[in-house]
Amino acid sequence: MSNNPYIPMPVKIDKIINEVDTNDIKTFRLTFLNKEDEEKFKYLPGQFSELSIYGKGESPIGIASSPTEPGYVEFTVQRAGAIVPGLVTASLHDLDEGAQIGLRGPLGKSWPIEFLEKKNIVVVGGGFAFTTLRSLINYMLHKDNRSRFGEITVVYGARNPGLLLYKEELAAWENRDDIKTIITVDKGNDTWKGREGFVPAVCKDVAPSPQNAVAVICGPPVMIKFTLPVFYDLKFAKENILTSLEMRMKCGIGKCGRCNVGSKYVCNDGPVFSMAELEELPRDF
Amino acid sequence: MTNFKHIEENLKKEAKKLLEAGSVAVVLAYTEGMDEKHPQPFAAQSVADADKIIFNEYCNHNLARYIIRYAPGTKIALAVKAADSRAVVVLIQEEKIKREDLILLGIPADGMKNSKTDEIIDAKTTGGLANPVIYDILLGEEIHTGKPVSPYTVLEQYEKMDKDARFAFWKEQFDKCIRCYACRKACPMCYCDPCFIDQSKPRWAVKSPQSHGNLMYHLTRFQHLAGRCIDCGECTRACPVDIPLYLFHKFVAKECEEMFQQAAGMKIDDKPVMVDFRVEDSDKILE
Amino acid sequence: MSDSALKKIAIDKINDLAAALMQKGTLIAPVREEKGSNFREIKNPQDIYLDYDNTLLSPKNIFFPQMEDFVNYQLGKDATPAKPVELNLKPAFLFGVRPCDVRSFAIMDTHFYAVGIIDPYWKARRDATTIIGYAFDLSKPADPADFYNTLGIGAADPEGSDIFMVKKDKELLLKGITPQGEALLNGLTMLAAGNAADEKYFTEYVKKGKEPRTRMMCLDDKTIAKKYEQIFENTEYWTRMADGCLSCGICTFVCPTCYCFDICDEDIFRQGARRRIWDACMFTDFTLEASGHNPRTKVYQRLRQKVCHKYSFSVRKYDVISCVGCGRCTRSCPVNIDIYSIVSEAMKA
Repeated sequence: MSNNPYIPMPVKIDKIINEVDTNDIKTFRLTFLNKEDEEKFKYLPGQFSELSIYGKGESPIGIASSPTEPGYVEFTVQRAGAIVPGLVTASLHDLDEGAQIGLRGPLGKSWPIEFLEKKNIVVVGGGFAFTTLRSLINYMLHKDNRSRFGEITVVYGARNPGLLLYKEELAAWENRDDIKTIITVDKGNDTWKGREGFVPAVCKDVAPSPQNAVAVICGPPVMIKFTLPVFYDLKFAKENILTSLEMRMKCGIGKCGRCNVGSKYVCNDGPVFSMAELEELPRDF
Repeated sequence: MTNFKHIEENLKKEAKKLLEAGSVAVVLAYTEGMDEKHPQPFAAQSVADADKIIFNEYCNHNLARYIIRYAPGTKIALAVKAADSRAVVVLIQEEKIKREDLILLGIPADGMKNSKTDEIIDAKTTGGLANPVIYDILLGEEIHTGKPVSPYTVLEQYEKMDKDARFAFWKEQFDKCIRCYACRKACPMCYCDPCFIDQSKPRWAVKSPQSHGNLMYHLTRFQHLAGRCIDCGECTRACPVDIPLYLFHKFVAKECEEMFQQAAGMKIDDKPVMVDFRVEDSDKILE
Repeated sequence: MSDSALKKIAIDKINDLAAALMQKGTLIAPVREEKGSNFREIKNPQDIYLDYDNTLLSPKNIFFPQMEDFVNYQLGKDATPAKPVELNLKPAFLFGVRPCDVRSFAIMDTHFYAVGIIDPYWKARRDATTIIGYAFDLSKPADPADFYNTLGIGAADPEGSDIFMVKKDKELLLKGITPQGEALLNGLTMLAAGNAADEKYFTEYVKKGKEPRTRMMCLDDKTIAKKYEQIFENTEYWTRMADGCLSCGICTFVCPTCYCFDICDEDIFRQGARRRIWDACMFTDFTLEASGHNPRTKVYQRLRQKVCHKYSFSVRKYDVISCVGCGRCTRSCPVNIDIYSIVSEAMKA
């Protein structure tokens, strides 16, 4: 049984980056122990993988690095679940650099790169759900790719400055002229000089044009709920608003039935969907 | 012999009256399933629904199981046979429901049958009572014929086994378990949310159907029902692999009765034995 | 030697046939248990019990065991590298399967085998197994819960079996349906060749099996799929259907076409395994997310998922209703919920 999709590949934690003040979100840079696994692992922004620790289990996590950064894969992981304790993510957070874990993937559909080409891209992210958006932005900003896309606008918000992910990258993007970066926090602090305000309000303020544009939106449910009407008001068509669903996924390959909604398996047919596609699904997620 | 047709008519009539007057939001009773022999629990919510109510010898499911599905304060009428009424008493004692929110339509019945096997359901797998222990309206004549049978007679063989034999017996039985959890879902006393077996931190037992996990699940459930099981036998009838769960429940119920002179769910004013302490209580459990 | 593909054996001689199959590999057949029969691996040919209507549990566990270890490992100080579990399957013979169950394998094949990523465990077990189907006994009435005719399945349909068996008085007639089945039959020396009368009997039995004998309603795949899309949010219908439902997992566990599973890590005394176990959409925690969000907190939502998955989602995704009308869920339901009635009520909703 070669090519068994249920067996993880061995990877090493090469680097751990503590992303936030609260110490509960870390980025794990993983390198492959087997060269052939690395060569097989061809992914695009928006896909996810199952991170695996024997004795604990597996957890589906979006890929945070971009395929334009060869040699490693990054995952930003929140120590999860006050209500349903996340055994895997908690254990992952307790590991040190050099530890070996497992990886299955890449899984799911990516952001539709071909569909995004030649279009203006509005990326809207909130809080922790910025990981696959970061992958997409870094992919588009890469020198080989930048010309394939139109204007890039990023609106990214967090509850407070300490909770913003990828702070160095955000600063770098702000200094570039080929991407418009708007960072906002719900509530600033003494040192915060940037914008304050909720993501939906900021989007309204920025008012990106729907002309030849696609909005890619990820965030907590409440942010999505209030951001969508803003884009509908801006006359973005439902086909041109994309998001990534979070469902309780297990196998990641469309077999175990857990993430089934209507005739779709979120893991396999998604997690990336347009609002038009989501409207076709039964209201059951 | 119980006049099931007569009870069915009364049940329909009372349900209709209650729903018409708006004194309850729902009447929990039975309706026809695939055929007459396979009735289903039914929540009648309108006068038209009341016409669909049936009652026959196969209507054995314990309706107390469904009460906690409704929001606290919902006025509920339910058909109670002996076992259902005892389950209601325990639920009231444990403050899951209030007596004043319930209208109990009492059904005295003997000769109830298991629709899967056609066997008469008697004191072998249940408490063996014919009359409900509480009710507001009685839908038939109380039954006082026939000599009462102890629900514990069936334990004779079981009690002859020594500790090792019993362990071997249960291990063999539990090895059959496929962990469908029908026993806990059919049980009117199993209302924990989440059930301990579904918790992941701590994880009390494996969820795969293996000896050690099965043992942990069933033995813990047995413990949780000590002094609370009202011996309706629903768990046993629900089990697709025929584990005689009633034996353990009866054994524990008998111990409780001997130690505390009290059977579960007989009187609302009783305190459940496991939450009550009396100086004169038996110390047997500590021996 | 007759060139007829049909073979036969006296029923009281099937021990010889069983012994020969056990020589070649693993023999799985119905055996009698306390309250019915189930498919089990045969250790003693005498255990085979053919006078059954249908088994309590479906034979899906032959290809999709309730528990399947992917990887074994040792935890703690003396931890060893994780080792993928190799299957090392012997050839297997699944003997005496009813036509509705044979049909279920094809439906499960679509999911595990034919569409998308191949499930290597299902495939390996399927490839290693020869299916020996067995017509229902047409001289007896069908179980009242059965409704396989509704799903277009006949009581003596040989399709999907490698070998198909029909009972003729005190004999079993066996016909090779696939080349693999034929080759196997030809190698079994204890079988006698069938004659022309046997051929005729077999053909007519299969034909007679097409006649309706179970509950039946007119059910078109696309129509019912669409109907369920229309009434998905008809809460009145769904709560009515789920009033009595206990939300246990029996119906899904006995179902030959329910395939949902969980992948988990379990260990005891530091012996660990990454394994899959059957799971059920009827369980409260099936869709509980790490955030605490659960899209299906109510019984009716879970029952809806189960019914719609079979009669609507599966039609949209795989172009087939994932139900074979074997009646097991109805027979085993502690409160007599009947999926046939649920579907026929849907037509009226």
